[in-house]
Amino acid sequence: MHRDEIPPGTLYLLILKTLARAGEMHGYEIADSIQRISDDVLQVEEGSLYPALQRMLIKGWVKARWGTTAGNRRARYYQLTVTGRKQLETELSQFERVIGAITRVIETA
Amino acid sequence: MAWLSELGRRVWMLLHRQQFDADLEEEVRLHLELREQEKIQAGLSPGEAHQAALRQFGNATLLKEKSHMAWGWEWFESFVQDIAYGSRAMLRSPALTIVALLSLALGIGANTAIFSLLDAVMLRSLPVKDPAQLVLLGKGTASGMTDDFARTQLYSYPFYRRMQGENQVFSDTAAICSMTNGVHGFVEGRSESEPMNVQLVSGTYFGTLGVRAMTGRTLNDGDDNSEGDHPVTVISYAWWKRSLARDPNVLSRRLKLGATTYDIVGVAPPEFFGTKVGEAPDMWVPLSMIKVVPPNFGGYKDNFSESLLIMGRLKPGVSIAEATANVNLLFRQILISFAGSKLDQENQQKLDRTKVPLTPMATGISSLRRQFSEPLQILMAVVALVLLIACANIANLLLARSTARARELAIRQALGARRLRIIRQLLTESLVLALAGGALGVALASVANRILLRMVSGGLDPIPLDVSIDSRLLLFTVAVTITTALIFGTVPAFRATRLQLTDTLKAGRGPQGASGKNPLAKALVISQVSLSLVLMVGAGLFLRSLVNLNNVDAGFNKENVLRLNIDSSSAGYKADEPREVALDQQIEERVSALPNVKAASLSAFTFNEGTWDSGVVTPGMKNNEGVDVNHNIVGLGYLATMQIPLLAGRNFSSSDTRTSQQVVIISEHTAKTLFPRDNPVGRHYNLGRDNKPEDDVTVIGVVKDVKFDNLAEEPVNLDYMPYPQRPWDFGDFEVRYTGDFAPVAAAVQQTIHSIDGNLPITRLTTLDEQVARSFTTQSLVAQLSAFFGLLAVFLSCIGIYGVMSYVVTRRTNEIGVRMALGAGRSNMLWMVLREILILVSIGVVIGVPVTLAGDRLVSNMLFGLKATDPLTLVSATVMLLIVAAIAGYLPARRASLVDPMAALRYE
Repeated sequence: MHRDEIPPGTLYLLILKTLARAGEMHGYEIADSIQRISDDVLQVEEGSLYPALQRMLIKGWVKARWGTTAGNRRARYYQLTVTGRKQLETELSQFERVIGAITRVIETA
Repeated sequence: MAWLSELGRRVWMLLHRQQFDADLEEEVRLHLELREQEKIQAGLSPGEAHQAALRQFGNATLLKEKSHMAWGWEWFESFVQDIAYGSRAMLRSPALTIVALLSLALGIGANTAIFSLLDAVMLRSLPVKDPAQLVLLGKGTASGMTDDFARTQLYSYPFYRRMQGENQVFSDTAAICSMTNGVHGFVEGRSESEPMNVQLVSGTYFGTLGVRAMTGRTLNDGDDNSEGDHPVTVISYAWWKRSLARDPNVLSRRLKLGATTYDIVGVAPPEFFGTKVGEAPDMWVPLSMIKVVPPNFGGYKDNFSESLLIMGRLKPGVSIAEATANVNLLFRQILISFAGSKLDQENQQKLDRTKVPLTPMATGISSLRRQFSEPLQILMAVVALVLLIACANIANLLLARSTARARELAIRQALGARRLRIIRQLLTESLVLALAGGALGVALASVANRILLRMVSGGLDPIPLDVSIDSRLLLFTVAVTITTALIFGTVPAFRATRLQLTDTLKAGRGPQGASGKNPLAKALVISQVSLSLVLMVGAGLFLRSLVNLNNVDAGFNKENVLRLNIDSSSAGYKADEPREVALDQQIEERVSALPNVKAASLSAFTFNEGTWDSGVVTPGMKNNEGVDVNHNIVGLGYLATMQIPLLAGRNFSSSDTRTSQQVVIISEHTAKTLFPRDNPVGRHYNLGRDNKPEDDVTVIGVVKDVKFDNLAEEPVNLDYMPYPQRPWDFGDFEVRYTGDFAPVAAAVQQTIHSIDGNLPITRLTTLDEQVARSFTTQSLVAQLSAFFGLLAVFLSCIGIYGVMSYVVTRRTNEIGVRMALGAGRSNMLWMVLREILILVSIGVVIGVPVTLAGDRLVSNMLFGLKATDPLTLVSATVMLLIVAAIAGYLPARRASLVDPMAALRYE
């Protein structure tokens, strides 16, 4: 099966949206979730999730706490903050604007 | 405030870095294991599943690093690493580090110390309101009292009042007594007198300066509007602290100065030390009390009793030129109105010639400045040169080290370290070195400051100067340090990283590197040598001047004479009372009778203590042609005590009394000036141009010339008069003794106190010491420049040693080849030594003209030799060559001991 790289700059958006939907997730779940929902089309280079998560922690978009998984393993769970929600809206509207513009360009052609 | 909480999170991360890394590690491990499980469930073998999970994750190490770096502390962590690495590197070669640190510390410490003294003496503004608006009439270089007509340095009190009232250019005008009154006064309620430095000032003094009292009030014009009835004083903060133990009820305390009791009305603020730099009065008393504060100068109402300095605060917008014009106009008007019948043709001409200059006094008045500005500037130049040499040395050491590390750096670059990163590491290392050196330097400076101040004070109580290191100074030092590090760290850093990697890796000691050519290092050594030569010659000149001064024949025998001061006026004696003469005679008699005392005498002056002079007139001379003669009032035993040989006539005797003929003994030079053709004995002259009959004196003897003010002076006109005929409230008492100083000193003081227990005795020392103090500046400059000259040579030798060791190491295999081909050990020794001698010779050739040009600037400070003194120049050069050869001998010897086989195998 062919897998597409995610468009540059959208990783934050994907993580924010995923967390907004699920509430709280650890890194593996986030990667898995993005892959599954996109029907395995969007392929995150899984490791790159972690630097992104760190940058989001610095920005204060997400917060993290240590919890236990269903398999009784220690895992770091991420959760959106209020700032994160606002950021999600900003990124969403920005993304839609860009996609809308691109779509218009393509359709006119 | 988003950035603030973000900063908070970043700092939190920095503090929990290890926790952070462990968490990340665990997170990644969990991810990989979960993925692996998923793959196994999907049917992959465990091995394949592991590989697939890793593939899908990407470069875990890199990603972990990225996550870490996202927090933005990379620069800091590598900085800490560099510092740790740099410190370890410094500790690995302790000798090099110690030399580098010491040279930096001495260079920076000396610069800071000298600069802080320079700043205190010359640059710092008075701690008063708008000091730039203050100007002084005249140049502020005179002190004392004169009745000379149309003097621009000192003024009378009535003149001050007229100037204050009539000028249009000053918003405030104040007068300051040019002398400080050294009084022994009593704090009310205490029986012991204590020394108090009293500064007499006009009531407007504090107002003009804009200085407010810390407690109570300052003086005001009302304290100074009528003579003798305003016994009030403002005390200094330092004295309040020292003598009154910060008594909060200070305003109810009183002081007794002479016969008068004064109310303390205020305490000056802590930073205020008066207007003379280097003199900090203990208290200020209004000039209205000038006649009753010992030693009772007087002259409050006398138009020609000129002892005051006058300062004014310029009105806003008034320029110095406008003020000068106005002051000079008034100066003329006031003096003409004062002169009356005194305004003869000569005085009129004098007045026409005279112009009062105005001097800005933002930095205060100072006699110290005249004495020390040149020496301090010379010393500043000397220590700046030493710092340059120290920097060159450090540059050399860093250069040698980075070259020795070329291989290490090349390997790191080959492994992927960025060039910038390596440069930064080398810079950090030199910064560590420089900052450590700077810190040591500041520590050294704070000690050196005090030592320096003590040296400047010449063994007396330290001059009250604030020489503490201030923040500007600290900034300056830090700037010097960092610049040093950056400049001398950059060059080696750039050189070290601009390598042909493969060459360096291939042949750490290959033929290309073996040429040993290192023009920069050699240039540094050459400049060190030239600078050292400048300093050595300077030091030599100053030292020889000092020796010359020491060998000057003062005309009197300075050995084995004790001298002290007796302040009889503070104990209530008055010069014109018979009681003072009786006291004086008793002191001389009783002390002369002590065991081990050969002679004792009071005198107005001995040496380097100022003077009382007047224009004397011989019969036949016109009144206005007076010859200036210095006078000394002495006891009958003065010539014996000082061992000044009598050349003609007779000495004083007990028959020279108040009622007998007024007699005088003159110096040889005076005899030649006043009576060039005749035998002076038996001749008359008059002490004053006024030709008053009571000032007529008869010459009874001629003595050998003595030095009076300083050792370098040409013979001066000097005469001696006996105190029974001319009463004087003496300062000086000299005792010629044999044996040890201490027991004699104790016995003399005890004897004086047995006559009157209230007599304050001060400045007990030997005449020898007193003479030595007259050239404190010269010995200060000589000692310090000798110290720094030697330091410079030492540093240069280390430079030579370092560079040559390095060269020898680099050329080991060349030397091996030469020896294998038959060169002898002595050839090798000579080869290296020759290179050193060439370097030093080039340094000398450059240094000689620089020295000759530079040392001409100091010719004012020299005594008995010229700045171009060839002996000093030659001996400094020879010494430098010898020392350099010694420094170079060790590496040269190492070169001669190279084992050719070992050297070649090393290839």
